[in-house]
Amino acid sequence: MVGPTATLTPLSRADGSASYRCPSTGSNILGSVNAPVELPARRDALRPEDATVEVFVKPGTAPGGVGERYIENVIKNMLAKLILGREKGYARRGVVITLATIGGESVGRGDSYLTLLPALIHTALLALLSAAVPLSMTFSATVLAVNASGEITREPSEKEAAAATSLHALAFSSKGHLLLNESQGAFDFDTWEKVHARALAICHGTLTRTSDGDVAMAEDVDGQPLEGTVRETVEDKLHQDYAWKTDAP
Amino acid sequence: MAQAAASAAQSAAPSLSLPPSQFARLQPHAYLLAHLSPPPATNQPSIRANGRAPSQFRVTSANTGSLTHTNGSAVVRLGDTTAVCGVRAEILHTEDIASWSVSRSTESSSAPTNKRRKLTDPTTKPNERIDSKDEDDNESHIQDFNLLVPNLSLSTGCAPGFIPGAPPSTLAQSLSHQILTLLHSTRLVRAEDLRIWYQPPNLGPEDLECHNENEQMDVDASQEDEKNKEIKAFWVLYIDVMIVSLAGNPFDAAWAAVLAALRDTKLPRAWWDVDNEMVVCSDAVSEARKLTLRGLPVSSSFCVFEADAASGWRAVVIPDAEEEKELDDSARKGNQRRWILADPDGYEEGLTQERICVVVDKEQGGKGKTVIQKLEKVGGWTADAKELKALVDISAQRWEDVRRILNEQC
Repeated sequence: MVGPTATLTPLSRADGSASYRCPSTGSNILGSVNAPVELPARRDALRPEDATVEVFVKPGTAPGGVGERYIENVIKNMLAKLILGREKGYARRGVVITLATIGGESVGRGDSYLTLLPALIHTALLALLSAAVPLSMTFSATVLAVNASGEITREPSEKEAAAATSLHALAFSSKGHLLLNESQGAFDFDTWEKVHARALAICHGTLTRTSDGDVAMAEDVDGQPLEGTVRETVEDKLHQDYAWKTDAP
Repeated sequence: MAQAAASAAQSAAPSLSLPPSQFARLQPHAYLLAHLSPPPATNQPSIRANGRAPSQFRVTSANTGSLTHTNGSAVVRLGDTTAVCGVRAEILHTEDIASWSVSRSTESSSAPTNKRRKLTDPTTKPNERIDSKDEDDNESHIQDFNLLVPNLSLSTGCAPGFIPGAPPSTLAQSLSHQILTLLHSTRLVRAEDLRIWYQPPNLGPEDLECHNENEQMDVDASQEDEKNKEIKAFWVLYIDVMIVSLAGNPFDAAWAAVLAALRDTKLPRAWWDVDNEMVVCSDAVSEARKLTLRGLPVSSSFCVFEADAASGWRAVVIPDAEEEKELDDSARKGNQRRWILADPDGYEEGLTQERICVVVDKEQGGKGKTVIQKLEKVGGWTADAKELKALVDISAQRWEDVRRILNEQC
């Protein structure tokens, strides 16, 4: 299976940006982060000691609608918990995250964003890292489809998602906590537990305890764990940026 | 007299203790925490500031059919949160649907084969036959032609934060969207209930032939009728929800109101009048029929209250998920403690970030196993598989309560 590819800082004007492409769902997202910025005339300053996180999602072909408001809210609630909004220089300021769909299927009225959600939050995470926004942890996410015979498909295409009985988008923190779960369609809890185990394996690999108690991430049928992909993207970028220093004799 | 009043005021003034209501406003987090974790010496049970146990829902009441100008309506009260829902049916002519002729040509090729299979297979149980009908590809009509239009309004002066008459807030928009996706994903309304058919009179000579023939011929004739039948219009259901009073948990109240209103909805008998080329509806109330809904999905929302007010930002070491699994709830101490609160009110919603929403249904009217229709968890890392399992069980109990409340109405 072909893994996702990502580029850090493709945009030069924004504080941080990332583009992310997932070949199996066909989604291609470009995200930018501006932080910390002064928000003009903030009337909703409910928590003055904290930073305000704002998320904008732009669909591919249509103007944004109620579906985008909903998914913006979900991403915002998830990220607001991870962004350390009380660090120096962040209180009373804003973290503005803009995510634009530049490829893949568009989402119609009343359709869910579940297939796009992992790509959206991965883009947001990489853009936040690129903007050096303080975060309490990183995460990785995936979407799984369960069909009528109970088979689990990883990152389904639009067609597979339409045929599925239930769709599940899950995000795990770098420490293995379940950060986000969005499931829809009819399923029972046993199915969900299987989905949860599979998603954990996709994001973190199969955990193998070595004799000295260390936990190592190993590759399995799902290829490289997504957590590693996110890490490597950032490492590559850092290596590139510091090439002048590290490669110097 | 005046002297007595003055001395009374003087004796009251030096008191430095605060009444509970002021403490609740000044230190909301500490106030709720003090209620949930009473000192062990006092022997008081852990209880929420509103007097409920952590997994207790507010008193729920439902009232249907209150609005006379709608096809179906309901008022659902969940404590101080009140949602009014009205369902209004309007007719959508197929000739007004731009993509109708295209979508019909693809469906006519598959539909007759479907029907034939159903008719020639007498071994299927009636229940399964309904199911196979459900799987009809025409079920996509509801989504393709937007036959369900829910809208939720919060601009009613329901809570101080929402200005009456203002454009729909982000919350209102995302709630409308949640209702719409849930209506689509649970397939609550049957597309067949919303179709208005036209059956052309069978004028062919073969009609007379097979009148007194055997059963097989009868089946053929009905099949022939099925083929000639034509959808002329659809009912579009406009589902409007007004949150009249908002004290937390608007989604549960709104969804319960939508559910109760749809159960109450009656559509008049409608048919295509060939001579006038229009859809005509019958006046007779006796001819109106109710919608036959699929199941009864009930939503329950929860929030997670953490003892550490600064858990979101202070640079604490968050234990690994593996380590945390071994940590039992009773073993948690100090700032690590957390409580999962069912049906949060406005006060609790302001103090929590992590939200969980579970929509469950039970097969065969409550006797079958629990089916989850939606499981949403966002805004934190507290609730993992173990906690979610417990919440699904609580939601299954809640399903029984809501069904009883809704059945009292109908």
